[in-house]
Amino acid sequence: MDEDQSGGGPVTPSVSEARLSSVLGTAVDGIVVMDHQARILLFNTACEKLFGYTADEVRGQNVKILMPEDFALAHDRFVSNYLTTGEKRIIGIGREVRGKHRDGREFPIELSVGEAVTPEGRQFIGIMRDISARKAVEQRLAQAQAQLVSMTRISALDEMGAAIAHELNQPLTAIMLYLQAAKRQASSGSGADSKLVEIVDKGVNEAERASKIIQRMRRFVEKREPERRAVAVAPLIRECLELVTLGNACDGVAFAIDVEDDLPQISADPVQVQQVLVNLIRNALEAVRAVEDKRVSVSAGVRERDMIIRVSDSGGGVPAELVPNLFKAFSGSKKKGLGLGLAISRSIAQNHGGDLAVEQAGSGGGAAFVLRLPLSVGRASAEAQDAGEGMKGSSE
Amino acid sequence: MVVQFSDCAVPARCSPGRRGEAQVTVHIVEDDPGVGDALALLLRQIGHEVAIHPDAESLFEDPPPATQDTVIVDLGLPGVSGVQVIRWLSRLKTPPKIIAISGQPRQVIEKMLGDDQPAILLRKPLTEEAIVRHL
Ligand SMILES: Nc1ncnc2c1ncn2[C@@H]1O[C@H](COP(=O)(O)OP(=O)(O)OP(=O)(O)O)[C@@H](O)[C@H]1O
Ligand SMILES: [Mg+2]
Repeated sequence: MDEDQSGGGPVTPSVSEARLSSVLGTAVDGIVVMDHQARILLFNTACEKLFGYTADEVRGQNVKILMPEDFALAHDRFVSNYLTTGEKRIIGIGREVRGKHRDGREFPIELSVGEAVTPEGRQFIGIMRDISARKAVEQRLAQAQAQLVSMTRISALDEMGAAIAHELNQPLTAIMLYLQAAKRQASSGSGADSKLVEIVDKGVNEAERASKIIQRMRRFVEKREPERRAVAVAPLIRECLELVTLGNACDGVAFAIDVEDDLPQISADPVQVQQVLVNLIRNALEAVRAVEDKRVSVSAGVRERDMIIRVSDSGGGVPAELVPNLFKAFSGSKKKGLGLGLAISRSIAQNHGGDLAVEQAGSGGGAAFVLRLPLSVGRASAEAQDAGEGMKGSSE
Repeated sequence: MVVQFSDCAVPARCSPGRRGEAQVTVHIVEDDPGVGDALALLLRQIGHEVAIHPDAESLFEDPPPATQDTVIVDLGLPGVSGVQVIRWLSRLKTPPKIIAISGQPRQVIEKMLGDDQPAILLRKPLTEEAIVRHL
């Protein structure tokens, strides 16, 4: 163990210190050792990069020079409090703090502090990592997610309106027709019952009122054509996976993306398509939660004039009894979910001139949902207009 | 595309004088039992002969509708779609009158129909008035 010691002989403190600092010099993390008065004893190479000071400049100085003002004040209190009461605020805990560079710039660091009792007295060792990059990524993702949530909420309202209007239409149609038949029955023949006719009439009026509300709701929703623009599919899929995995526990789940090279763009409302994919991926993730072998894969490719995006999983598949009404609103089996996801998703697909379908026992063994969306209008119409009509399809 | 989406679309091929004839068979192809039953009840009261089919397949099993008949087809059928039913009917040698009904949003209907537009399209919720006008 001692054979590589160049000087041989007993280990003097200075040799040990030199060795220590050469070891610390190779560490990726910033390492600072200070004494009980918070004076810096050791400052490694990573720290020099992190804070812009050389080790010689800071040795002997109070560690506060590495901290922003507000934290420096608190630090004094922490140290003296700890030394007198033993109450730990940071030692052995590790947390996110802000550091201050020589040029005054502040940056987020992750700090863990340990303590050692040495012949020279109590010493503290701080290990620091610059987390600016990670912070920036987190912030960007948080922003993206917040944006997606608020945008999808708006369009979910629209879609929910459409879905509800559609579901209510059927029973309402039946009610109207039954009442009208009842009215006819009551007013025909010799035993006409004028009181009954009057009551049924009122019923008809109310049913008509309800149906006007539905029509108005439908008209309101239909006014809004989806906003179309050229959308590249591969980055959209990656973004969706990122969004889903960010907000959900997905330990042990293997994700795969299989996208054909040089995919053409689609003409679509990217937020809405994202909403569909997020829901499909989220459903897939929930489906594999209970199984051993957790796989979720998303593939994309072109078939004729359509883009086919397939989200498949290795879960248990859609329960057979759910299949007939799978795409109807409020059909879900989850306690948490509204069972609106697939209804909304299909309606978005159809509004884009595409469709959404389920395939049991997809490639992953579980369910596979297939989203079909027409390729961009520009390309489709260019192919259709071989005759050479001069019209340009403006695909926005 | 010239399909009219109001409840009072003027039938392009509506032969005049049909109104008086009571004894035609009205075929209803509708998967929603409530809607199918209510519609049948009402039409029978008016004096029509009615045949209900819950899906396209069961319509195809029976002898094809006669030219004086009317077929009311829901566009959102499971299995063989309403659009395919309309295509099949309109290619018969002596096609019956076709009334399409649907509760779907306008864009969806347009996309479903493509070139196979029926003469009459009524949107749900249906009223007696709207149906009777076209029979
Ligand atoms: N990949 C899948 N594997 C197995 N079952 C699925 C899958 N996707 C959906 N399902 C079933 O279909 C039901 C409906 O899904 P849908 O997305 O419409 O609603 P939900 O997920 O229950 O609720 P939410 O409104 O939050 O999306 C689910 O409750 C689930 O039972
Ligand atoms: Mg869902």
